[in-house]
Amino acid sequence: MSPAPGDAPATAAPAVELRGVWKRFPGVVANAGAHLTVWAGTVHAVLGENGAGKSTLMNVLSGVYRPDEGEVRIDGVARHFRSPADALAAGVGMVHQEFRLVPSFTVAENVVLGAAERIVRRQAVESAVAELAERFGLATEPDRPVWQLSMGERQRVEILKALWRDARILILDEPTAVLTPGEADELGRILRHMAEDDRTVIFISHKLHEVTGFCDEATVLRGGETVAASLPVAETDSSALAGLMVGSSPAISERPTPVAAGGPMLTVVGLACLDDRGLPALHGVDLTVRAGEIVGIAGVAGNGQRELAQAVAGLRPTTGGSVHIDGIDLTAATPRQRFGAGLGYIPEDRMGVGLAPRLSVTDNAILRTYSSHRRGPFLDAEAATAHCRDIVDRFAVRTGPLDQPIAGLSGGNLQRLLVGRELSDRPRVVVAAQPTRGLDVQGVKAIQDLLVAERGVGVAILLISEDLDELLTLADRLLVMHGGRVVAEFDPEAAGRHDIGEAMVGNASTGVAAT
Amino acid sequence: MRRPVLARRDQVLRGGQPLAFAVGLAVALVVGVLLLLGSGHDPLRVYGRMFDASLGDPRAWSVTLNRAVPLGLAGLAVAVAGSMGLWNIGAEGQIMAGAIGAAWVARIGAGWPGPVLVTAMLAAAVVGGGLLALGPAIARARIGVNEIITTLMLNEVAIRLVQWLIHGRWKDPGSHNFPLAPMLPANGRLPTLFERAHVGVVLAGIVIALFGLAASRTAWGYELRVAGSSGATARYAGISLKRKILTVLVLSGGVAGFAGGVELAGTADRITEGLSNGFGFAGIIVAALALMRPSGVAAVALLFGAVQIGGQSIQTMGVSSSVSTILQALILFGAIAAGVLSRYRIEMVAGDTVGAAASGDGS
Amino acid sequence: MNEASLIGLLEATVSFGALLYLAALGEMITEKAGILNLGVEGMMAIGAVTGFVVALQTGNPWVALVAAIGAGALAGLLHGLFTVVLGAEQVVSGLSLTILGIGLAAYIGKGFVGRPAGAELVPVDWGPLTDIPWAGPVLFQQSPLVYMAVLAGLAAWFVLGRTRLGLAVRAAGESASTADAAGHSVVGLRLGAVATGGALAGASGAYLTLSITPQWVEGVIAGRGWIAVALVIFGAWRPGRVALGALLFGLTLALKTRLQTFGVDFSPILLSMLPYLLTVGVLVAISIRARNRPSPAPAALGIAYRREER
Repeated sequence: MSPAPGDAPATAAPAVELRGVWKRFPGVVANAGAHLTVWAGTVHAVLGENGAGKSTLMNVLSGVYRPDEGEVRIDGVARHFRSPADALAAGVGMVHQEFRLVPSFTVAENVVLGAAERIVRRQAVESAVAELAERFGLATEPDRPVWQLSMGERQRVEILKALWRDARILILDEPTAVLTPGEADELGRILRHMAEDDRTVIFISHKLHEVTGFCDEATVLRGGETVAASLPVAETDSSALAGLMVGSSPAISERPTPVAAGGPMLTVVGLACLDDRGLPALHGVDLTVRAGEIVGIAGVAGNGQRELAQAVAGLRPTTGGSVHIDGIDLTAATPRQRFGAGLGYIPEDRMGVGLAPRLSVTDNAILRTYSSHRRGPFLDAEAATAHCRDIVDRFAVRTGPLDQPIAGLSGGNLQRLLVGRELSDRPRVVVAAQPTRGLDVQGVKAIQDLLVAERGVGVAILLISEDLDELLTLADRLLVMHGGRVVAEFDPEAAGRHDIGEAMVGNASTGVAAT
Repeated sequence: MRRPVLARRDQVLRGGQPLAFAVGLAVALVVGVLLLLGSGHDPLRVYGRMFDASLGDPRAWSVTLNRAVPLGLAGLAVAVAGSMGLWNIGAEGQIMAGAIGAAWVARIGAGWPGPVLVTAMLAAAVVGGGLLALGPAIARARIGVNEIITTLMLNEVAIRLVQWLIHGRWKDPGSHNFPLAPMLPANGRLPTLFERAHVGVVLAGIVIALFGLAASRTAWGYELRVAGSSGATARYAGISLKRKILTVLVLSGGVAGFAGGVELAGTADRITEGLSNGFGFAGIIVAALALMRPSGVAAVALLFGAVQIGGQSIQTMGVSSSVSTILQALILFGAIAAGVLSRYRIEMVAGDTVGAAASGDGS
Repeated sequence: MNEASLIGLLEATVSFGALLYLAALGEMITEKAGILNLGVEGMMAIGAVTGFVVALQTGNPWVALVAAIGAGALAGLLHGLFTVVLGAEQVVSGLSLTILGIGLAAYIGKGFVGRPAGAELVPVDWGPLTDIPWAGPVLFQQSPLVYMAVLAGLAAWFVLGRTRLGLAVRAAGESASTADAAGHSVVGLRLGAVATGGALAGASGAYLTLSITPQWVEGVIAGRGWIAVALVIFGAWRPGRVALGALLFGLTLALKTRLQTFGVDFSPILLSMLPYLLTVGVLVAISIRARNRPSPAPAALGIAYRREER
């Protein structure tokens, strides 16, 4: 546990000390003199909103980035990591959000990659890996190929990798993003176990409740700087932590003024479909969104929300059920037809589905409407540019010349372009999947305002988000999805987070909340 | 200890690709000088002769233009596929398949009036090339089979098909020990344009220009751009990827086949095993240097044509014509290097972290 | 068809098989690391001409072989420089290497056309083993390069499958960022692989001019480099299967000139199409199966890796 202030730790230096770290990328300063101090045998949380610089700082610690300025000390000794290998050698292991695993290799092969004996004897290695796994309570099968494993299982492989190299300092970047609540608790246990083994665990998160659950101390980053260092979690109020993360006590977000909702615009009945692996993802989803209403969908990632959005937008074939917009049956319609019928879709994958990274701003702006700019076989370049300029102006997209590739735009502007494009044709229904993910505070506000404005003019909006706060603020009705079904409906103004959370993990007892 | 690292430039260097191309040319010429000196030749005289023979007078120009035709068309074929991220490595074979188609029509239509025969020959050439590309196109569109390998393999098949025909049913009875196909009838030849250049030069120019126009100004070209950028985005925009892949690869094959037909009816006397003469592979280089854009293909093809014709001319000086082959490859290597350097700069990064301004992301 | 001609056919099969196998093994190793090198034909040509010329100058076939291997490795490194270090398109760089290699070989070899070889790698004498009926003449009267090919194959199988280095190489070819994160130098691994590929291609080329047909002709490789590229896919990137495929394709090569003697009235030209058509067939089959499980092709094949790319 961390020494109490006033105890002079005789010769022990902190396990990890980062001082005055600066890291710049083209166009953005990710870390501006950040610092961090972590003692051995503790679980330390690094908190901050998206874009606060947490991942960057950890990448510096784990040798992925070289800091422009600043110092890294491990056990009191200054280190200059030239690569992740250097960091590993110093005992720093990182488990990234996107796993670094070779899908076609077995668990054992993945664990020992980079830290194997010169001659790899399969049997011996597999039993050694199994032994290590048992020691820390990580159930695993060493000879299974990784492509067959679930997310939680893969994460355990990642942790094993670090342990195999005797990482004394373990960094986990948003580890629970891909876990069910049950798996997240399990992870918490494992991490405490390691702390008791006198290892150091650093845990990046932007979810407060996890932090209070199993961390000893927390450091808060904001705007690339450290705004609060090593706060003892047990003695700190979580709303104070939240305040530090956003810069002031969060104003109670104003709910949008109620609007009388009109008739049903989007009607989904018994919708069923498969996921990418061919397994059923939706098991008969029913929902209705009325004109001038925002219906929010909450749920842990991986319960069918993604597939629901894709199925409604026409990007995923359905195996049953129907989708109607204002009474028109669009179940078999193509995305283009749905757009023509008044459906706007803001996909989760901004770059790569919604926008084409190598194409120009104009090319992206006319993605959905280019057919209307045709003159015979030709594309009316002027009309296209005019349309693009219109979107850019109306939705305040900050961009360079319109014929340049969009790759240089910031996340916020990309999203504005995308949302603007979808809204430019005055849709009647908008399906928005994670529309504010990865944006900074201003960007989030801008997109939220846009959605509320659309609601104000009678658009029916289906809002899928991992940010429960966002849903509670914006939605008129809140649905919870679990296991490919809608399992509960809540009134956002009245519902308790606890009940919603229970529904999210499948314990929807009553289902419908009070009015 | 300091080591060099490639870091992305904030701004791509001005003049980008044409500059890279010029650098590549310069590098190639310099290395060429060394090679020639090394084997005891006078580089200036050799280069001088190459220039005279390829660009020195109208006659030289006419020969160079003739050579630029298959290079340009093959380059266009590869560029069309390349603009969608597909690699047509089978132009070599498709040229042959086109030539087979044209030669076959020439055999059965020997009595037709000239313009009719030639048009039919060229049409058959397009079909021939397209047919050879059809298999790989379907395989890629429907199953996702990598088109690099399938088109590559069919090269060898097509070349052997020509061999088989020449040794067998198409063998000219007059050629005894060394099998040859019969010469093309006179009415199966492309008329002359000027000096030694044939009408194919104009045809090729038109085709390249048409594709250039289509790529930048039509809805089809737009869809191609989107499909080439991201398959998921294309689906989202309502573009059928399968259909695009199919049409683009077959079209690419057709253009290459057209090159074969034009080469047969324009330059060659008869169909031979060596007709495709590396044009298919050179076309890939041409397309790469032109960044897969039809607008650049013509210029690059002209340059390569000049290098190739120049190379042939120095044989009488006792210098191997492979100098031109080497030059072509060097131009490409030089251009690649220059192209990369226009987008990335070399930085020395120290083991010490202080002041190291690397850009990047590893995660 | 008599025994002697059948034995001759089998002997040629093994011989050509080894020729193909050396080059294909090299390309397999290169591709396992994630680099596609379509320059095999060019590297073989460089190996062939180097071997021939050095043999002429030194009179020592072993020195010539070593020189050819070195030249091939250098050619491979050239491709590596452009693709691994600079991140250029692998298809384009490889084809340029082929053009360059064939051109250079023709240029260098120009003065040597028709000259008899300066030295040869004569078949190894295994003593009493050559008296074994059938197996004797077929297996034990081959050029030392055949046995080198066998050893190379075994070494590749062992290293790739059972050593730390092999694990690293395979990781670089499946997921370069993972290999990088694990502390391996992707650049080093890939450069090593592509150099090894070049070295083996060079050995294969030298096999031609030092053993099989000890003379120099322009175009000596005659498309066998492309067969080697096909062979890697045919063998699904596994040393053992590639070896079997090499024997099969070697058989088609051997049959080309022997069909008449066996009284088979089938055009040798059409027969020579077989390896390519078979490879396409295998690739289609692999792709169909790959819908449900990962393809045997290295996942990162053909994709340039830049760590510091945001």
